[in-house]
Amino acid sequence: MKPIMFTYRLLVLFTLVFPAAVLAADDKYTETMQKNINIVYTATAPAELQNAVNTLERVGAAEKSKWEPFYYASFGYVMMANKEKDGAKKDAYLDQAAAALAKAQALLPNDSEIVAMEGFIQMIRINVDPASRGQQYSGLATQNFRKAISLNPENPRALALLAQIQFGTAAFFGSPATEACATNTQALEKFETSKPADALAPRWGKGMAESMKEKCK
Amino acid sequence: MKILFTLCFLFPLAALAQTTLSGKITDDKGEGVPGANVVLEGTYDGGTSDAEGRFQFTTTEQGPHVLVVSFIGYKEYRKAVALEGSPIVVDARLEETINELEAVTINAGAFTASDASRRTVFRALDIATTAGATADIAGALNTLPGTQKVGESGRLFVRGGDSNETRTFIDGMLVLDAYGPSAPNTPSRGRFLPFMFKGVSFSTGGYSAEYGQALSSVLALDSRDETAMTRTDIGILSVGADVAHTQAWEGGSVAAKVQYTNIRPYFGLINQRIDWKTAPASIEGIGAFRQKVGKQGMVKVYGNFNHADYSLYSHDIDDYNHSTVYDLTNNYRYLNGFYKNVLNEKWNVRGGLSYTSIENNTWTGLDHTVETQKGLHAKTVFEGSLSDKAELRTGVEVIQRNYDQVNDLHVGQDYTLSFQELITAGFAEMDLYTSNAFVMQGGLRSEYNSLNKKFSVDPRLSLAYKTGKSSQIHFAYGAFRQTAKNELVRIDHQLGAEKAEHFILNYQVMENNRTLRLQAYYKRYRDLVKYVNGDPLQLANTGDGYAKGLEFFWRDNRSVRNLDYWVSYSYLDTQRDYLDSPYRATPSFASAHNFSVVTKYFFTDIRSQLGLTYSYTSGRPYNNPNTETFNGGKTPYYSDLSVNVSYLPKPYIIIHLSCTNVLGRDNIFGYEYSTSPDAQGIFNSRAIRQPATRFLFLGIFITLSKDKSTNQLPTL
Repeated sequence: MKPIMFTYRLLVLFTLVFPAAVLAADDKYTETMQKNINIVYTATAPAELQNAVNTLERVGAAEKSKWEPFYYASFGYVMMANKEKDGAKKDAYLDQAAAALAKAQALLPNDSEIVAMEGFIQMIRINVDPASRGQQYSGLATQNFRKAISLNPENPRALALLAQIQFGTAAFFGSPATEACATNTQALEKFETSKPADALAPRWGKGMAESMKEKCK
Repeated sequence: MKILFTLCFLFPLAALAQTTLSGKITDDKGEGVPGANVVLEGTYDGGTSDAEGRFQFTTTEQGPHVLVVSFIGYKEYRKAVALEGSPIVVDARLEETINELEAVTINAGAFTASDASRRTVFRALDIATTAGATADIAGALNTLPGTQKVGESGRLFVRGGDSNETRTFIDGMLVLDAYGPSAPNTPSRGRFLPFMFKGVSFSTGGYSAEYGQALSSVLALDSRDETAMTRTDIGILSVGADVAHTQAWEGGSVAAKVQYTNIRPYFGLINQRIDWKTAPASIEGIGAFRQKVGKQGMVKVYGNFNHADYSLYSHDIDDYNHSTVYDLTNNYRYLNGFYKNVLNEKWNVRGGLSYTSIENNTWTGLDHTVETQKGLHAKTVFEGSLSDKAELRTGVEVIQRNYDQVNDLHVGQDYTLSFQELITAGFAEMDLYTSNAFVMQGGLRSEYNSLNKKFSVDPRLSLAYKTGKSSQIHFAYGAFRQTAKNELVRIDHQLGAEKAEHFILNYQVMENNRTLRLQAYYKRYRDLVKYVNGDPLQLANTGDGYAKGLEFFWRDNRSVRNLDYWVSYSYLDTQRDYLDSPYRATPSFASAHNFSVVTKYFFTDIRSQLGLTYSYTSGRPYNNPNTETFNGGKTPYYSDLSVNVSYLPKPYIIIHLSCTNVLGRDNIFGYEYSTSPDAQGIFNSRAIRQPATRFLFLGIFITLSKDKSTNQLPTL
């Protein structure tokens, strides 16, 4: 059975709006992080991403107690996976994304952003083989997005990602995307109202929600 | 860099203390490794190797440090460096790690279906969606090479082996009789529903030393570690109904399913060749519990009970008007407890206990027979690495079986046949990798059987070599033994085990959702049980036999969008001299040619999958007592075209319709002969046919869960 085939790839690729404001760095950690976070948000070349991811992993290994380096390394690998066409390689990147995220999770359990990222990785897994994975991974991803929302109802990324999954399902069943669009509207509201906790807090995902808004019209 | 220079200019002292590190990262073959992470341990300083494997970075750190180079698929490289300002060149040669994704695998004769592994030829979902298989594990596996279709049995017959030579294991624990009861000459279904398992590994030979008491094949089912979602599943079927509920929590879940099957209304509508008194009905309950223990440990309990009954009129071959009532009541219980945990960084332990209880209560006319079999299997296995290139697996197990057959005859002396068998076994198996391209597996299995008081040691050997990026060649050898069938051992407890040796050569290419597999094998049977002078009450291990064959498998779900298909062909040449054979002859379950094409096409617009399966089996021998030659007769070929359609009207509803043998071919599986000749000295015969030409099935499956996009797809 070929179940739900979502088209996340297109949605995700072009729509990660990188944060415009880069706050003044107050220390070496923040400075290094901001520089590399910017790269994983904007870079398109795999080598550039790999470079940033490696730096993030180095920072994480040196700092030992910070979750952000691993979170963004994971994000960088997801971006690399997104650009990769070969299924096996895509999976290998996602494995590394999951491994990096596990390190973040060990340092900061039950964090809404980290749980949402876990769902994001699972969502990208579907693209490798929608026929056999769609069912399993869409369920897992949805579950993680919902968990992320329950951990922090103000997390716009969790809402935006949930909207993506709901949109894909609705598109497949030819049913109206009302639910997905409502979730997306919520996500957009949260993007406006929620303020990042600090200079390194995640800021991505708004563009994804904005491009869906276009589709919802 | 510019900023760096500026900084250096501003702070000349710092510039003095800078050290430049550079070098080249290569693999075992001297090729550059791009993307490797080079780091001065404990600092932010480091770099990434470029497309040629070169790196360069500067650091203001001073004194002794450790340079670490890491990259996925390779062992970490570490080197002490002293940072004193003068440039340091480090050329690192990385050693590859043996990793699951890259390494050559030992898989001769195994078709592994798994949710987790990404290198599977056959997926768990395939079992549910293969037309003609009717969601039966054996039914789906019968479309793979190595199997010989025996339509009237429904069981797995592998490479010239009888169906009892395939043994089923759940989480490594033995299952006694994995098939539900069926009327004589009607296909039985497997007792275990595919959706309860995350992995199905079907080995048609040359399997690990961990598995014993199987001459031909091992079907290893791996139950789900945890179910992630709380959900309720309801099925309304044309032959019954089922309801299942799963409750999930962090790290664990419990699931229960009750299924009621009643073919009576269906048989009322569609004419059957069997003269049922009461058609089969059964009630079945399944329970599963999973709980994570600690960080990596897992406890699983799986249980299943089933009560089934039916009765039919068995008509005499010579005189149709003379019939006997045959009545069967079957009670089945299976309970399996499984435990696994990590002992330390290098060693794992897993083990379990399984209990099977089967009771068959039959009436043949006025004769009453109660057959009970109870089995207990306990096993502990330790797995670990001796080094990064050597893995050891070793374990011990005991299998206890108590068998009783109590015969209460209307005429004649009542009698009881029984036996108790205790098999104590130990095994050790080692995987040795020289690289990701070559692996050797050697194993030994020892057994002691309490009934015949024999101790045995059987070797297993496998060599696998990766011939290209996605192709490999594999040779396997193994010696296997299995206690003879219950109906033989109950007559003679001293019977030795039956033995088989497998020699298998396998070539496989797997690339981008296309798989090609070619296999050749030779199998030698020894010590098969044979009737002494044709007397079924005098048995001896004097029989023997062989099987040899060629197999082909091709699967492609890439060439045509939304189309997935596979083609299998098996050629088999087998003969055996056993039981009542006067000499070596091809047994009645063996067919020379088996061919299957399975296709699945998904229509996106109407959210439906159409499945078509065509199977062909060449004629099988049967014994005609009116002729001189033993097993000299040959049935017509068997062929079947089955269709199924699955439709998803809503994300949580599936409607499934399937029909076997749409072309309506009258397949003949063999002939039964009367036990004594008629007045003319002729043994009368009757053809064994399909109980009904076609089998129609309609099911509606509804899933209720918090997430409305969940459905029962993977379970169908």
